[in-house]
Amino acid sequence: MRHRTGRVAKRLVFIPVAVFIVITLAFGLVNVLPGDPALLIAGDLASDERLAEIRAELGTDKPIPQRYGEYVHQLFVERSLGDSYFTKRSITDEIIQRFPDTLELVVLGLLGAVLYGTLLGVLSSYFRRRWPDRVSRLSVTITQSIPDFFLGLLLIYLVFYKLGWAPAPVGRLGLLDLPPERVTGAVILDTIIARDWGLLRTAAHHAMLPVITLALFYSSHFAKTSRAVLARAFTSEQVEFARACGLSEMKVVGYAFREARTPVLTYVGILFAALFGGAAIVETVFAWGGIGPWAIEAMTKLDVPAIQGFILVVGLLTLLVYLVLDLVVVALDPRVSYE
Amino acid sequence: MAPLLEVNDLHVEFKSRRRTVYAVNGVNFSIGEGETVGMVGETGCGKSATIRAIIGLLRPPGRIASGSIRLDGEDLTGLDARRLRRIRGAGIGFVPQNPFGALNPVLRIERQFRNVVRAHRRAGRGRIREDALEMLNGVGIADPERILGGYAHELSGGMAQRVVIALAMVLDPPLVVADEPTTGLDLTIQRQILDLIGKMATTRGSSMLLVTHDIGVVAQYCSRLLVMYAGRVVEAGPTNIVLRKPAHPYTEALLSAVPRRGRRLIAAAGAVPTLLSRPVGCYYYDRCRYRGDSRCATETPDLKEVSPGHWAAVFYRKPTMSAQEQAPEKATTQAQAQEDRDGDDAPGTD
Amino acid sequence: MLGSLGRGALSHKALTVGLAVIGGILVVGFFVPLPHDPVQPNPANTLAPPDGEFWFGTDRSGFDVFSRVFASARLDVPLALAGTLLSIAVGVPAGLLAGTKSRWSEAIMRGLDMFQSFPLLVLAFAVVALTGNSLRNVVFAIALVNAPRFVRLVRSEALSLRESRFIEAATAIGASRTRVMVRHLLPNTLGVVLAQASLAAAHAIIVIAGLSFLGIGISPPDASWGVMIRAGSQNIATGQWWVSLFPGAMVFCTIVAFNVVADGVHRLIGRVED
Repeated sequence: MRHRTGRVAKRLVFIPVAVFIVITLAFGLVNVLPGDPALLIAGDLASDERLAEIRAELGTDKPIPQRYGEYVHQLFVERSLGDSYFTKRSITDEIIQRFPDTLELVVLGLLGAVLYGTLLGVLSSYFRRRWPDRVSRLSVTITQSIPDFFLGLLLIYLVFYKLGWAPAPVGRLGLLDLPPERVTGAVILDTIIARDWGLLRTAAHHAMLPVITLALFYSSHFAKTSRAVLARAFTSEQVEFARACGLSEMKVVGYAFREARTPVLTYVGILFAALFGGAAIVETVFAWGGIGPWAIEAMTKLDVPAIQGFILVVGLLTLLVYLVLDLVVVALDPRVSYE
Repeated sequence: MAPLLEVNDLHVEFKSRRRTVYAVNGVNFSIGEGETVGMVGETGCGKSATIRAIIGLLRPPGRIASGSIRLDGEDLTGLDARRLRRIRGAGIGFVPQNPFGALNPVLRIERQFRNVVRAHRRAGRGRIREDALEMLNGVGIADPERILGGYAHELSGGMAQRVVIALAMVLDPPLVVADEPTTGLDLTIQRQILDLIGKMATTRGSSMLLVTHDIGVVAQYCSRLLVMYAGRVVEAGPTNIVLRKPAHPYTEALLSAVPRRGRRLIAAAGAVPTLLSRPVGCYYYDRCRYRGDSRCATETPDLKEVSPGHWAAVFYRKPTMSAQEQAPEKATTQAQAQEDRDGDDAPGTD
Repeated sequence: MLGSLGRGALSHKALTVGLAVIGGILVVGFFVPLPHDPVQPNPANTLAPPDGEFWFGTDRSGFDVFSRVFASARLDVPLALAGTLLSIAVGVPAGLLAGTKSRWSEAIMRGLDMFQSFPLLVLAFAVVALTGNSLRNVVFAIALVNAPRFVRLVRSEALSLRESRFIEAATAIGASRTRVMVRHLLPNTLGVVLAQASLAAAHAIIVIAGLSFLGIGISPPDASWGVMIRAGSQNIATGQWWVSLFPGAMVFCTIVAFNVVADGVHRLIGRVED
């Protein structure tokens, strides 16, 4: 037991260091790289005086160490991510407004990917070299070769335009629907809180295609990982002994699957981070209105505080996910403490 | 009385697209109730394939090509997966080689007992726990309560194998198949575990098929002995007779290859044939000291009774003229030298 | 014997098919005269479905989809390859260094862990957006996303090779560490690096498509598959499927081809992942 707590403690000690690195990276990315926001804001034809004016306003005329100091000060003392160069709105507000929507999409998409992917992996490794294995491999080959946003468009064409099973890709709800009372900001969750089941149906209906898109696209990772781990597990002595004791095949699969739990969870963590990039494009396709399209827009406009804020939040969230993941892995696997 | 287990002309093949390995080629033997039978032979002689055929767990592409395996009169080879599953654990207990590999690493021991018992009958937690505690007591575990609440990785090798034995026998299977149950363990513990398996089989009245490399073990625990070579039983009989007066040149070679003190079974000279095709003639022809006329080269000897209860698959029991001219090859392979050293570490049995 | 020959032929066949598809796309893009100007729209023919004149139809602005699909190959495939080369140039030496017993090893791996815990795709977007839309920056972005996989791959190869006999022998006869790295480790990792390069190129195609879909790095009227998919994205919900479908299908084919090549190389060097 001491080993376990030691491991967790080590993680916790590491967190301030990691937070510091995330902050520095968020700052460095937008400040050290070439590229002048002032130029973009003022336009190509602006005079030098106008440029200098804008730079002074943005604070980009100061030396980098000073800017870094001011940034850290702003974060920890003012507890602010700054204001947008363009809208002048607080970045914190912007993020809080959009973040829940993206989180909801990412969580649902990832959940779908885990379920579908590990199902493929289980089928593939259990029925090795038989047709379920082939079908599963085919699915992996296809989904890993279609960019997610194109997959989304294909689904829109087939499921919305041709079949009419999905609503138009106009966002979280229909154009005429009134959103539920904002509690968490996540529409599906809010409809549940508001007990508005009709609206929940609508929201779920609108979420269907984007979630399926993400689930299909990211399922290949889980399929490949769980297949590799399970293929080994199914020929392990442990599984042989379980069978020799007469355990049912369901139980045997369960025994084998426990081996795949840790790698699958690890992938959940890695992809959770990756999905904030991947989801941005899918959000654009489905007019989802989450944080992704906002961040992309900020990037194309060189809205430095917005970009910084986005990277900082995503980075911190990733750290948090990794920490939780670690705790879950430790809780699930009695052996980890011995490593 | 009919024997508990009766294996009749068993053939096992591993058939892949490119080649077929004939791993077991007509094995016959039986085990009576309460009897402990030892099975010895080199790696690759078909021991493993035979016992996996018996417990119905041949790994694909392995399959039983022909023959029958009767447990209490019921032929297991014809059973569907569902019936076979019910036999495993309840009808035949299996003790594998490596206890750490066999135990589930992420489930508490108690849960593993529960899964095994409930795979075969409905039972309440309390009842299963009592059974498990009793079994663990039986296998000589001092604090079974603590073990039940713990995980496999907390156990020592000897303890883990005791738990595995308890799991394999918790349903009181009439037959226990032990596949080199002490290979992975310390030498000092090996003896304890074998004593334990012997004792468990006796007290619970189970029959046992004990696969081993260790002739000393066979001598001490088994009333009868099967010697396997190239997927066939080449000699079978009461242990003391086979060991004292082996009738098959392969058994002789095995026994002479045993180091003086350790009595460990080691490889005889030459190599086991790769069973990519069924050999013509006697399977042991290439390595045989006594081989003689064309009969040995063209005909496969079946087991025949050389003395009451003692069977051997031979045509000749004395060196023939042609064989005497060629000096018997000396067993000086590297593998043997290695085994010799291992054998010296083994505790003496005499 | 026959079996191994069969396997050899199979891998060559996969390799040949994969390389042929990629080569074919490039040849058509660069050398075959396209029926219409890929960057000159024809306002008289907007959103025309595929027919005899416009084989893949036209988009909203009147661009010929067929011409643009192949013109995009001129940009997307070389960019993907250049990005992959840069990833190798950065990743392989770093991986070798991380695979040796030096104080660098630990530092590189910890740094990599930290770096990879970020959403790299987002970082790539940000880097290109911030440094300005240029093809050079797209190449940098791809290297940013793909270099880590080479570091990890080469490191693990180096670690396992380090234990092998011939490296031991080389060290025993007094070869310097650099020599062991360059003369012995590097050639032996060539196969897996090639296979990984093909996978990385496939991924680079996705990244480029994503970037240009968002209008980062490459923007219209330059022809790029992502740009084209974006152009058709508003029309697909109203049934004009051809504008997005053809470039999307090209992306799919190219990625599959790169994956097939990687698979072929894996088979060729006897590392079938199974």
